[in-house]
Amino acid sequence: MGYEIKKVADVADVLKKRLKTMEHKPSILRAIELKALADEIPLLKPEKRAAFGKELNKLKAELQKMVEVAEEETTKLEPIDVTAPFDVNTRKRPRPLSSELGSQNPIMADQDELINIFARMGFTAIESRQIDDDYHMFGSLNFPEGHPARDDYDSFVTAEKDKNGKPFIAPAHTSTMQNRVLKQFKPNLEKGQAIAVVIPGRVFRNEDLDPRHEHTFQQIEGVYVDKGIHAGHLIATLKTFLQEYYGQELDVKTQPFYFPFTEPSFEFAMSCPFCRKKGCNVCSYSGWIEILGCGMIHPNVLKEAGIDPNVFTGFAWGVGTMRLTMMKYGIEDIRHFNSGKLEFLRQFK
Amino acid sequence: MKVSLNAIRFMNQRYGTAGEVVPAGGVNQLVEKIGAQLGAVEEVIDVGKKYKGIVIAKVVSCESHPDADKLSLCRIDDGRKVKGVKRGPRGLIQVVCGAPNVKEGMLAVWLPPGTIVPATADKDPLKLEAREIRGQVSNGMLASSHELGLSEDHSGILDVDQSVRPIKPGTSFAEVYELENDVVIDIENKMFTHRPDLFGFLGISRELAGIQQKPFISPEWYKENPIFPAIEGQRLELKVQNELPKLAPRFNAVAMSDVKVGPSPIWLQVELSRVGIRPINNIVDYTNFFMMETAQPLHAYDYDKVTAKDAGAKHATITIRHPKKGETITLLGGKEVKPHPEAIMIASKTKAIGIGGVMGGADTEVDATTTNIILEAANFDMYSIRKTAMEHGLFTDAVTRFTKGQSPLQTVTVLAKIVDEIRKFAGGKVASNLRDSKHRLQNPEPVKVTAKFINERLGLNLTPAKMARLLENVEFKVMRLAGGSLGVMPPFWRTDIHIPEDVVEEIGRLYGYDHLPLDLPKRDLTSVEPEPMLEFKAGLREVLSAAGANEVLTYSFVPGQLMKKAGQNPANAFKIANALSPELEYYRMSLVPSLLDKIHLNIKSGFNEFALFEINQTHAKDLIEKDGLPIEEYRLGLVFAAEAKRAKYKYQGAAYYQVKKYLELLLSHLNIEAVYEPMTLREPKMEVGKAAAAPFERQRSAYVMTKDNKLIGEIGEFKPSVTSKFKLPAFTAGFEIDVAQLLKQQSPQSSYQPIPKFPKVEQDISLKVPGRVDYAQLHSVITKNVDKFKPSNPQFSLNGVDIYQDEEDKTHKHITFHLEIASFDRTLTAEEVNKLLDKAAAEANKKLGAERL
Repeated sequence: MGYEIKKVADVADVLKKRLKTMEHKPSILRAIELKALADEIPLLKPEKRAAFGKELNKLKAELQKMVEVAEEETTKLEPIDVTAPFDVNTRKRPRPLSSELGSQNPIMADQDELINIFARMGFTAIESRQIDDDYHMFGSLNFPEGHPARDDYDSFVTAEKDKNGKPFIAPAHTSTMQNRVLKQFKPNLEKGQAIAVVIPGRVFRNEDLDPRHEHTFQQIEGVYVDKGIHAGHLIATLKTFLQEYYGQELDVKTQPFYFPFTEPSFEFAMSCPFCRKKGCNVCSYSGWIEILGCGMIHPNVLKEAGIDPNVFTGFAWGVGTMRLTMMKYGIEDIRHFNSGKLEFLRQFK
Repeated sequence: MKVSLNAIRFMNQRYGTAGEVVPAGGVNQLVEKIGAQLGAVEEVIDVGKKYKGIVIAKVVSCESHPDADKLSLCRIDDGRKVKGVKRGPRGLIQVVCGAPNVKEGMLAVWLPPGTIVPATADKDPLKLEAREIRGQVSNGMLASSHELGLSEDHSGILDVDQSVRPIKPGTSFAEVYELENDVVIDIENKMFTHRPDLFGFLGISRELAGIQQKPFISPEWYKENPIFPAIEGQRLELKVQNELPKLAPRFNAVAMSDVKVGPSPIWLQVELSRVGIRPINNIVDYTNFFMMETAQPLHAYDYDKVTAKDAGAKHATITIRHPKKGETITLLGGKEVKPHPEAIMIASKTKAIGIGGVMGGADTEVDATTTNIILEAANFDMYSIRKTAMEHGLFTDAVTRFTKGQSPLQTVTVLAKIVDEIRKFAGGKVASNLRDSKHRLQNPEPVKVTAKFINERLGLNLTPAKMARLLENVEFKVMRLAGGSLGVMPPFWRTDIHIPEDVVEEIGRLYGYDHLPLDLPKRDLTSVEPEPMLEFKAGLREVLSAAGANEVLTYSFVPGQLMKKAGQNPANAFKIANALSPELEYYRMSLVPSLLDKIHLNIKSGFNEFALFEINQTHAKDLIEKDGLPIEEYRLGLVFAAEAKRAKYKYQGAAYYQVKKYLELLLSHLNIEAVYEPMTLREPKMEVGKAAAAPFERQRSAYVMTKDNKLIGEIGEFKPSVTSKFKLPAFTAGFEIDVAQLLKQQSPQSSYQPIPKFPKVEQDISLKVPGRVDYAQLHSVITKNVDKFKPSNPQFSLNGVDIYQDEEDKTHKHITFHLEIASFDRTLTAEEVNKLLDKAAAEANKKLGAERL
């Protein structure tokens, strides 16, 4: 590589020579000669500064590259026989770590438990997608284009576009699977059976992190459709599930809410299972914990999946499971779940 | 949405619209009902309590603080009402104040020592005391509207208006502002996304009556087609040109002359202050007040300022259009905006005077000099308003209301009301005809629904008469049709009732969802369809955690820098276009880089050996499904690391074998036999494969293949550059496996072997092979031939015991296996087993040049 400015070219020669004999190669990038060249720039005539700076950067880049190549060479590893169960000339044999050290992430372990409860209640489990299109995330769920209700879902979108020219979306709720699940299990209805599915999955919201907010979290969606399903069935089903999870009798209550894809929609609260309504810091001394959003599936959502809303009705809910897990263990910071810190993970044996 | 019960009460008294809002059970019962039937209550604020001890005081003198430029030293008069405070001459009290608008003679709100700053009362209460500020004692403080928790305005202290009625220093602040017995209930806005009417007191009050199953009667003036007053006296020409009939489906305006601008009556100021709106002047205050009451945003322009915008014009023209190229506008409050090209502009003939539905312009505002005004009550497209608000960050009270989809049928109603009010109380005269630009207005249509349909969806058994009553309480018209059908006619302000399910919601809510029967759905005993993937993954997690590994979860999005550190090219990854954090740049293409990123931090925290694993989805641009969606690959990644000291003491040889142990453990659990193909043999074809292989050092890594030659993953140690960039210990290795392939490949066949009755024979065999022969080749030849030459119905296993290679001479190596063999038929002898091994060795010699030692 040639340098047009003589001063730079001279330094380049000196440093390249020095690099060959150096023990710690990356130190060349902090060589005093480079610093001296940089210090010269402000002393130059203004019109010459840019060219000089460019040359200097070129030299730095070249040296950086040379350091990387040299490092790869010096640390080149011997080939090994990848088909063997252990290395040559060794007496000790590979062994897994003690079982006592192992752990499962509490979110996943809890998710298994929740799926298991629903399985006992007759629900199939299907996992949610982590990248989806606008149609499934919004369109099929009765969110018209540009609808202000979309603002409540601060979703991540990709630079790449789907076949309709819209960005792909990192789903902000597991409801993104509703249309697929309804279509997939529609034959159940034709056989006189219910659609009963839960959908666990990772969802995303474009939020800043703090001890109570994550941009990446876990939800379980539930969908139930059959003839003659009413809002009382919804409340009873969720109550049963929560009682199973907490192993105790609970009181529940609903508050009207708005989701475009359910009508009516509710926010669902349970009596605090930790203090049995006496008031504690988990329930902020209110005795109640708002736990999920739910509602009767909007007829447009059923229609979109080819199900006649005059014949069949159903309900759906979505519950954020990280909060359940945090409350269960008294975890103080939601960021621990995705931190990869063993101090945290090894506590969940 | 903050609802002041006093505001509702006063309104009901003013118009005779409903009885007492609080039921016999008190405020708590009302709050419970609101929660169950209207929307979640976020907070109940006892307003009187919040203002306890706070009084109005007169600023008697006001001097500069001797040691601080921006502070004033005030002496205030509280009529000697407050006890226990240090008083100076004439009983005056010294307070230091930093507000620019503090002046002698004004009435201010004084927070004496011992009181709590109302704005802080709910979170972190700040209790005031007498303390020195730059050497001067300040006894409490004079408060801004913000500090009083009334509004966001903290530009100066609240200047208590005394022009309307005299206020004595020392009067309780809560008394003057009629806050004493008030309770404010904060109801979550989200519930009202489709209820534009609930952004006004009328709507809320109607609903509070409805959920208590009491009737509400709208005020006489709140009807769809009011009589609009004719021109009185002087005529002011007003033209309206609506170029955007789709985005502004209704635009009503009227001109008024002879308006006397001045402060509003105190009751109006109080009403506005209570909900956090700063009183400005009577005209502006009326527009805000009727918006608060009806949810219909209103705007007043100065007629003469609008006319003056068009050089030489004698009359005012209002044009509704998109912005002209490069057009900017300075809004009320002084913010200058260059509106996006599709914004709705309100303009004179030539120049912009406001952004429709969002905010008016600064230079046509109504002020003390104004005598002629234009009043606007319009309706705008909610999507367009939303876009403009988002684009320019303008979230005004008008935006909140228009984005819920206000009814275009109430604009004239509200305009007629405010005109009437201004005629009566601000001297205004109607000076133009009502301008009414309307486009495809839709009148509400009756929804036909049967009582059966409603009862089926609620699990109830209500009579049609009961249903009708519930709806009529909130002013629906209900026709009783034949066969138990109802014809439900929504009132003109409701824009959310279109289908029978909407009526179901309305009835369920007004009746009370807490009365629904709690039955579980009934289903038959058909077993649940199995969906194997989730259960399969749970099994993998079980096996690995039982082997001492720790399951981590890491983010699905990674910074490009992380990919580059792992040798991956981000160009093939889906890119996040709108992340708040630069850490979330791309959808990850493989799991291993995220896991590598968690090694150093754990070593640093003192964990000297560990295995981290994760099961999660990955995505790449060259993996697309037929329907155009990215394929979701289910992957399992695992890394093993031991810091130098621990590695030296506990492990021998390459870290590769340690991580291979984990993989073998897993595969044997699934009954999968894998083939390890050295990575040096070929390059992945697809980009996604290159990304997965990128961090691995090829000399010490392998592709994991099934016996029928399907690639299921990569395993190995990492490149020196990866090791140095992630600061990995030397003893680190990992693998990444396709979980869907594992699921497909797992063998349901039992690996159980019956136990022979006859004793087993154990023998070692050592072979010297050329250096190029690998372990698996030799193992396979010996196994095959033991099987081929086996005597009488045996069962056997062949396991590696030792591999030796001279450090200097790598042309050969010695591999020793341990054979265990037993027959089901008879006792085998050591000799025949030895012969068997000889035969196998002879074959190995032919095939691989092996020599038995």
